[in-house]
Amino acid sequence: MSTTNNPPPVPPYTGPGSPQDVPPPKGASPIDPATLPKPIRDELQAPDPVAIDTSAAELKDGLNHCPKCGATDVRQKAGTDLLICQFCRHEWNAQRVEEEFGLGEGIDKLEGTVIASGARDIAADAVNMMTFKCTGCGAEVTVNTESAMTARCHWCRHVFGVNEQVSNGAVPDAVLPFHIKKEDAVARIRQFVDKRRLFALKAFKQEFTPENVGGVYLPYMIVDGNVSADIAGKGEIKTREYTSGSGNNKTTYYDADVYKVARHVDFTIDDLPLESSKARGNLDTKTNTNNIINTILPFDTKNAVKWNASYLLGMSSEKRDQNVEQLRPHLEDELLSVARAQVEKSVNKYDRGVRWESEHLSVHGTRWVSMYLPVWLYSYHQPGANGGMLHYIAVNGRTGETMGSVPVQQWKLLLAAITVGTVLETLAIYILAVTA
Amino acid sequence: MSDDGSLFMLALGPAGGSALYWFLYRYYRNTDKSHDFEHETAVVAKPVTGSEAKVGDVKGTREKRISGDNVHEFRQRVQRIRDDTGRTTSDKGSG
Repeated sequence: MSTTNNPPPVPPYTGPGSPQDVPPPKGASPIDPATLPKPIRDELQAPDPVAIDTSAAELKDGLNHCPKCGATDVRQKAGTDLLICQFCRHEWNAQRVEEEFGLGEGIDKLEGTVIASGARDIAADAVNMMTFKCTGCGAEVTVNTESAMTARCHWCRHVFGVNEQVSNGAVPDAVLPFHIKKEDAVARIRQFVDKRRLFALKAFKQEFTPENVGGVYLPYMIVDGNVSADIAGKGEIKTREYTSGSGNNKTTYYDADVYKVARHVDFTIDDLPLESSKARGNLDTKTNTNNIINTILPFDTKNAVKWNASYLLGMSSEKRDQNVEQLRPHLEDELLSVARAQVEKSVNKYDRGVRWESEHLSVHGTRWVSMYLPVWLYSYHQPGANGGMLHYIAVNGRTGETMGSVPVQQWKLLLAAITVGTVLETLAIYILAVTA
Repeated sequence: MSDDGSLFMLALGPAGGSALYWFLYRYYRNTDKSHDFEHETAVVAKPVTGSEAKVGDVKGTREKRISGDNVHEFRQRVQRIRDDTGRTTSDKGSG
């Protein structure tokens, strides 16, 4: 950036309280707060960030019973948000978290950091493998929460779901069930690829089987925020435009007034999705195609329902591995981008543009809810240097928005480019020769 | 035809070829796509306030835009002014 008055770099932050030091255990204080002056004591003893409790007491045992007959063979009715009992065909609706926990309300009054119980920090000693004792027959059933949230007892066929909020980050506050059916997703992927066949990698085309698409629930943090931003820089307004020289040697010159511009905006943001898996959050297009999955955002997160593992039957899931504090720099970066977009119209009169030089963000309050969002994912591994490249074609499991990365056959693409370049060049030489 | 004009014509081949290459590459690989969160997220903003003051002028420049124009580059971070200590850091890169 072309800031001219950058201060000298800040020395690395070391010493007590720096990120390099081992933090003290939670809640511990080297000094008894009672001995401190009242204002400090009040601060120390003020309540910690509020956690909304979204864990459901009725699902604690891992068995998800039909409210009518008590059977555990419960799954999502395809294409709807309803749950259906496979035994007695009873259907019922899960509660939407939006109303249940009041998540859409009071964003403009948010203060501090409010974290829903499923978005709490992941415990360091948390394990991925969870073992349940089947209440039907007493057998032990293991669920690997890294990739699945349900399992069936191999003895008595009871269906288990990880419903209690274990501290390994695998159980979110809410889940947005799939609406787009598999056949629909396959058709969309086929349609997407059919438009990109000419220069596609030969092996990709030969192995293309969209029926292999898999439904996966990916972990996101859905964030509400109440923020203010200040942006400052220089803007120019054209005052005169004139041309000097003649014939082919004409040059256009501009005169302009330079202004110092500052803008302030207060705004609230509702349901901003952030990838809460470290691998998915890396959007470096040189090494991966995660930007494809990022592109199919947003989802209608307002319709998310309270966590229930039955929605995940037959689908795989990816575990969250990022906590609120790890995602905060990313959030602030996105909030600054939103602020810059908000002030864009207010500087329209600077017809020669604006060079923003400094920005400042005050985050008054944020609310974090962890959520599983539904994605149909088709992948193709292209061999190559450094492990090759994994190409994704992704379909939003709610809106059907489709985006993908189709590997290209480089020589074909180069040949096409060189051919067109040669034709243009021949034309150019011909015109030059004629006019000379 | 002038020298400038001839050079421009001769550059047409390489420029056209590489433009086509990158256009097709992006169409297949979609490396330039990401979530447009600036516009696709529900934002309720109070009216934008601010100030402006003339600080100088530019005479006879050949540039059409101010140098370093970033009014549409929302994700290009500039010098960040922090609250806590009043110190500033320069955050670069895109989000």
